Amino acid sequence: MPTRREFYWGLAGSAIASAAGIRPARAQTAGGELLVAFDGASVVRFVLDPHNSLFAPHNRVIRSIFDNLVVLLPDQSVGPWLAASWDVSTDRKTYVFKLRQGVRFHDGAPFDAAAVKANFDRLSDPKTVLYAKAEIGPFESAEVLASDTLRITLNRPFEPFLRNLSSTKLAIISPTALARYGDAFGQNPVGTGPFRFTGLTQGTEIRLERNPDYAWAPPTASHAGPAYIEKLTFRNVPEQATRVAALKSGQVQVADLIPSQNIAEVKADPDLRLLQKELLNTNYSLALNVTRAPWDDEEIRQAFRLSLDIGAIVRVVYLGTAPRAWSPLSPSLFASAEHELANSWKPDPAKAAAILDRKGWIRAADGIREKDGKRLAISFIDAQGNREQRLDCIQLIRRQLAHAGIALSIDSQAPGAYLQKVAQGEYDLAAGAQFADDPDVLRRYYVPSERVVAAAIRVNDPDLQQWLDQAASEGDTAKRAELYRLAQHRIIDKVYGIPVYVLLYNLATTGAVTGVDIDTHGFPQFHGARLVAS
Amino acid sequence: MSAGRADAAYVLRRLVAAVAGSFAAATLVFLILYWLPGDPAALIAGDDASPQMVANIQARLGTNAPLWHQYVTYIGHLLHGDLGTSFTTNEPVSHRLAGQLGASLQLTFSACLMSILAGVVFGVIAGVNHDRWVDHLIQSVTMFMTSMPPFWFGLLLVMIFSVTLRWLPAIGSGSLRQLILPSLCLSSLLAAQLTNMVRNSVIDVLEEPFVTTLRGKGLLERSVLYRHVLRNALIPAITMFGLLVGELLSSAVVVETVFARQGLGRLMVEALGVKDIPMIMGVTLFASTFLILANLLVDLSYSWIDPRVRAA
Repeated sequence: MPTRREFYWGLAGSAIASAAGIRPARAQTAGGELLVAFDGASVVRFVLDPHNSLFAPHNRVIRSIFDNLVVLLPDQSVGPWLAASWDVSTDRKTYVFKLRQGVRFHDGAPFDAAAVKANFDRLSDPKTVLYAKAEIGPFESAEVLASDTLRITLNRPFEPFLRNLSSTKLAIISPTALARYGDAFGQNPVGTGPFRFTGLTQGTEIRLERNPDYAWAPPTASHAGPAYIEKLTFRNVPEQATRVAALKSGQVQVADLIPSQNIAEVKADPDLRLLQKELLNTNYSLALNVTRAPWDDEEIRQAFRLSLDIGAIVRVVYLGTAPRAWSPLSPSLFASAEHELANSWKPDPAKAAAILDRKGWIRAADGIREKDGKRLAISFIDAQGNREQRLDCIQLIRRQLAHAGIALSIDSQAPGAYLQKVAQGEYDLAAGAQFADDPDVLRRYYVPSERVVAAAIRVNDPDLQQWLDQAASEGDTAKRAELYRLAQHRIIDKVYGIPVYVLLYNLATTGAVTGVDIDTHGFPQFHGARLVAS
Repeated sequence: MSAGRADAAYVLRRLVAAVAGSFAAATLVFLILYWLPGDPAALIAGDDASPQMVANIQARLGTNAPLWHQYVTYIGHLLHGDLGTSFTTNEPVSHRLAGQLGASLQLTFSACLMSILAGVVFGVIAGVNHDRWVDHLIQSVTMFMTSMPPFWFGLLLVMIFSVTLRWLPAIGSGSLRQLILPSLCLSSLLAAQLTNMVRNSVIDVLEEPFVTTLRGKGLLERSVLYRHVLRNALIPAITMFGLLVGELLSSAVVVETVFARQGLGRLMVEALGVKDIPMIMGVTLFASTFLILANLLVDLSYSWIDPRVRAA
């Protein structure tokens, strides 16, 4: 008599036997289709509108469909792409772009100065709420000077401008497609990129095919012409173990964000190859709510930090696969002070205890410190769950703090409630990271007028504001870097934020594919990918 | 009154109750959503939005109106068959539901089918062999299945059938082959619970005097078992099934995530996160209707299995 298990095996076996045309998994890729399993989290709605998505997983797909005016070179300077060349006026408020000729959008519309102007007009429209709006800074107007010449005027110098133009957030979209699809453009994206969009199944799959006319790859590309593979399909596989399983079983040839516990295994597997590159971003950092007690006292903040051993936490959680972060800006980002700030402080629980004792926070019977009958209890607010194993870090922080006599609780909220509580300042500790192409991203955190309603960083430091504002319009690169150096030192010295780890974006490929690459921003590229006949 | 008309009246009564039930569920969820913290307009506007932008969006969504007004408007549209427009995508809710429905229905039906088949077959085997080794084996397996989280079981299935044996795909929805592992995973708990249920009632029925009488009358053992014992043993199992379908709906989200499938579960979780009220209401209405209909079918099947129910 069969056991239940035997029954299942038998059932599975017979179902397979009855399915016509069984093929080994690898044969499914014949015809030049590359399958990518990506971590799109449990988001059911794909938004492939470059101007309206801050979600990194969607931007990884956007990269293959769209091109930019300029490309970010490995040394963080910008090179020509859809803009063949440009001139900047001496007051650095006017940019004249000479556009590449012969470029067409996937829908056949010509790429010209009018099309680029339409992109800027869309971004600067006061009625819109596009996420990428902040990227164009003090944009004033765009004028078509000739079919291949566009003048952009800013109302004050804005040094991050060119670098921002290299970001997927400012990729160039087809104005005719925008007019046709309107709000639904995000589900019907049309660009000039190496792959064109053919369809999607909400939440699970995005289908692209080669753009046969493509002849305008950026100088960083492996070749100038069309992509080698005919079809490129992205499958959203939010569960990390399934992603690794789909790769190992050959059901996909590429999987991204391999979790740290599988990295050693993937590296050791001769059939798999691991690529990794730092994502340019603000390192995942703890933000202390300095507007309310106890964090309004700098010494208490120092004691908090001295109680933590961030290095040990990062080693334990990421198993040596992610470097520990010291600076607010990730190490490869322009002007990052990562190397200067390395080892700028070290854990010292005894000193932390001395500060807290002196401040009147005395250990009670349960080990948690008290002052005037009030416990030293703080809450960490979170809405993202354990993405990138972030909550694992927080759990270890909680344990280290308990040793120091500080009780930490984790306040998990749905995104809506999270934003509301942060906007009202009802939290002690928050944390986050944001992909960025320029250190100017700090201005949005530390300059109150640039801040969003629900900003977790509530620091109000006039020096910091002045340095960051000045840096945004400083034309001299060395001076600009110096201002960012000052700002980063101040953030660490005053314990406004505590950086935790540096994210290395990774993807693994099977032996069936070569030529997959990661660009300077840290986004995957499939233009040079080639399938290997098996 | 003829039997046919009595049946029709019964079904009609149940359908009215079903509509009332869905309506009550919708009202309750609407009130809970209103009470929960978080402003959908602020979420849609995003981090970089000014208070004015948020206010504009509130006006567009109608979330700045008083609760009673929002509720009456919603119910009014609902009565016209309009489920509203998703806050986040501006697509009709019915359209977004339809996009995910196929995959969800496939998964739910095949998991139901698998659990009924496994539950009845193994339940009868265990019950008939009460206290013999086969019974103990089936009992241990069902105990194991009920204590395992579906999440873990799903990953185990992927490891065995996709990575090691390479028989079945680990991810995706659409083809029959892609349906097998997720349905197995989803049905595991339900199948184990049904097996126990059927086993226990088979044991109970076998001890009833009428079985002894039937056997005494010289009926074949097989005929006693299938025509009489099984029929009586199925009723409690079917009642249980109606309740368990709800569990199936709620654990679907885990299975959808593990196997990277489309489905209403993930749609619901995402809608809850961003407080997309029309979307949440749409999924709730669909799920409650589905659950109520499943239970209606369960009730109707009693009379088919045991005609005495109709008379009662």
